[in-house]
Amino acid sequence: MKQRESDEVSRRHFMRAAAGFTLFSTSSCERVEDWLGLGGKEGPVVPPTGEGIDLISHVLNRTTFGPTPSEYARVKGLADTEESAIAAFLDEQLEPDELEDNRAQRAVRRFEAIHAPLGEMYEYKEAFLLEQLTRATLVRATRSKRQLFEVMAHFWSDHFNIDVSKKECRWLKAADDREVIRKNALGNFSDLVRASALSPAMLWYLDGRENRKRNSSETPNENYARELLELHTLGVDGGYAQKDVMEVARCLSGWTVRDKGRFHKGRVEFFSDAHDDGSKTVLGHEIASGGGEKDLDDVLEIVCEHASTARYLAKKLCIRFIADEPSNESIEATAKAFSSSRGDILTTLRAVFATDEFLTGARGQKLKRPFEFIVSALRGTRAKVSSEMDLVDYLIRMGHAPFQYPTPDGYPDVASPWTGTLLWRWHFAIALSRNEVSEEIEVDQDELIEKAGGEEGLSASLLGRIPSKEELAGIERTGEPLALLLASPGFQWR
Amino acid sequence: MAVKGTGIISGNGDEQRALVVVFLRGGADGLTMVPPVGNGEYYKVRPTLAVPEGDILKLGDANCGLNPALSGIHEIYKNGGLTVVPAVGSNDDTRSHFYAQDLMEHGGPVAGGWLGRFLRFRDGAPPTALSAIALGKAMPEVLRGAPAATVMESMDTFSLGSKFGPTAKLQTELGALYGKDESILGPAARDTLQALDRLEKLRSEDLPPMNGAEYGDDSFSNGLRQAARLIRARVGLEAVSLDLDGWDSHFAQEPLIMPLMTRLSDGLAAFHRDLGELMQKVTVVVMTEFGRRVAENSSFGTDHGRGGAMLVMGGAERGNVFGELPELETGILVGPGDVPVETDYRDILKPILTQHGAGDSMAEIFPT
Repeated sequence: MKQRESDEVSRRHFMRAAAGFTLFSTSSCERVEDWLGLGGKEGPVVPPTGEGIDLISHVLNRTTFGPTPSEYARVKGLADTEESAIAAFLDEQLEPDELEDNRAQRAVRRFEAIHAPLGEMYEYKEAFLLEQLTRATLVRATRSKRQLFEVMAHFWSDHFNIDVSKKECRWLKAADDREVIRKNALGNFSDLVRASALSPAMLWYLDGRENRKRNSSETPNENYARELLELHTLGVDGGYAQKDVMEVARCLSGWTVRDKGRFHKGRVEFFSDAHDDGSKTVLGHEIASGGGEKDLDDVLEIVCEHASTARYLAKKLCIRFIADEPSNESIEATAKAFSSSRGDILTTLRAVFATDEFLTGARGQKLKRPFEFIVSALRGTRAKVSSEMDLVDYLIRMGHAPFQYPTPDGYPDVASPWTGTLLWRWHFAIALSRNEVSEEIEVDQDELIEKAGGEEGLSASLLGRIPSKEELAGIERTGEPLALLLASPGFQWR
Repeated sequence: MAVKGTGIISGNGDEQRALVVVFLRGGADGLTMVPPVGNGEYYKVRPTLAVPEGDILKLGDANCGLNPALSGIHEIYKNGGLTVVPAVGSNDDTRSHFYAQDLMEHGGPVAGGWLGRFLRFRDGAPPTALSAIALGKAMPEVLRGAPAATVMESMDTFSLGSKFGPTAKLQTELGALYGKDESILGPAARDTLQALDRLEKLRSEDLPPMNGAEYGDDSFSNGLRQAARLIRARVGLEAVSLDLDGWDSHFAQEPLIMPLMTRLSDGLAAFHRDLGELMQKVTVVVMTEFGRRVAENSSFGTDHGRGGAMLVMGGAERGNVFGELPELETGILVGPGDVPVETDYRDILKPILTQHGAGDSMAEIFPT
């Protein structure tokens, strides 16, 4: 039986490989590039001309993984004034489904493992699944036109952090990324929390699957309940007590996920005989006995609608888009939108983008984390990347490989933990501009300079402002504009 | 806010306080490395593999000693620089290399490695490019989740170096641009540039080991030699991981692991001599995923077991034996006849990590 299964798997792999081969052998190079999502037309490059970062560059820095050379001119052309142009741009980004994104989607389709049904994911080697998921994440961040969507997917991956190195998360995180994070990234927060609570990967990661009460001597496992309150909803100062953690754990007892030794591995199930069916009090709300699996809905409604949750999420979003220490006004305005829309993520984001602090506050003051630094460099240089894994080595050195943060709080989103990464940023900047990252990653510096109308134009398109005297002098003395610009202080911030 | 450049690009500063983790992959036989002393049962169940009583290097009046192949580190023990831990291990009872290594490197059934979490959550400024290195070809699980970790086979990894040309001009201009930078990156950049200079010097000088230390030319010794140079160069190295593979001795154990023990002992002894006084701040931990079955098998080998041995060299250690080797009798042995785990490996690591600046972060490093 086992033998037949593996024959079947290898036959399927062979068929897939054969299909790939046919495509390559019968298509022109252009067709292959197109299919891989590598080609693409580009509009004219008209770099910014301000001495400081202008509004359009600022919004592109904050809501995308960095502008491509032609993106500034395209956005500027959307309307007559900067304000209307960014409004039009944000409207476009806040409705990602309306944005044609064929190239990125085609490019990601080749990572077949991450599209497999849940149970089939166990057929793949863990390392291969992680590689496919990581590559897809890099491709999407770099190439998708739905940039804000990708930024938010990134945000939620940290918020509902799952480290693939824990137990069966190795196989299940790819499904969590698809069914929890990406499905709800711009949807409703309550749906997102519910999907996460019942995500097979999350049930493994925070031990929800071990949370059961089958008799009076068994005590529920509190791990998930605690992080649900502390990290996913109310926040650590959100006004809950240890008693609430225990009561939430009781409510969620009985939910589990089948392990890989069984049929229907990865299936989420509720066992009423492992559920504590007594009455509970969560954050002052009574939950009557006998609720069974509906206790979960009651708990999630209570925590999602709690005022602390609105404030906690608002603050995190403001930290992502506005500043490491956002003002109270910005947080309040965002929290209000979150509450009044009952957790509608689009409405909440609009509120963030409408704050004075976002529009007129300090620009270029959010340090790009390593992932953002690398992706913005690839976008800003229109790098042709056919092997994303050559980038992952840099991400590991800088401690920012996707889905590999060890504790449930997710990668930090403020500057101070990341200041030690300069050596590898510089290393990458030099290697990228000299085409030495690998043979699979290619940048054409001369063409970039030519299209941007000179070295000054290239500088402006990468920095969002015209270069300073010092920056120009450095470019002149090194003769390596791209390397110096990407490694310079100006490019480290967004 | 002007912060003076320190030339250190790592959070633990110029303290040269480094932790070196040596993983013996494959399950090293504790009863051969650290054999029992005066134990009749041992000779009954290991008729061909037991270390002859007269050959065992004594550890004071402890009921276990060291294999004669470990004579290099026995000298260190005698001078108070080595602690030997018998019957140590994890609570893994699958006896699977993969699970047991994973569990031990993660520090429990949790995500990420304990050394990675130590670097992320310990006290002090955040780690940087040179804080953690894995000597070899791949990143080990123990460093997973580290805020900075580099796999290296040679020192050349640490440069802005480039196959196609020098980077001196770029380095100068980066110095100029970051020199004026008043943000949080300014001081970090200045430190990084100074450390790069120091590394450049280190590469070009090819300093010989100190104090007459002589390293072998195997990759294990070479790795330790590189680590010693980096520690001495004060570039902020805090954590080093390296492996010594090949301990899975199901078949013909003796010729397989004798040379490994010699390599281990000679490498550690050279490292110890090379660093001299610096060993007060440097700790080397030698661990393995599990020990092996007490009774030898029919092919002069041993099978996967439970309790194994651990060695701790340097730091504030005094020469001693932690705990004792249990009796090797039915009723005391566990499972199919294995040494019980009397000491959890984490209980050995915790005080060491505290010495290395873990501060209040033990709950993050080893979550319960």
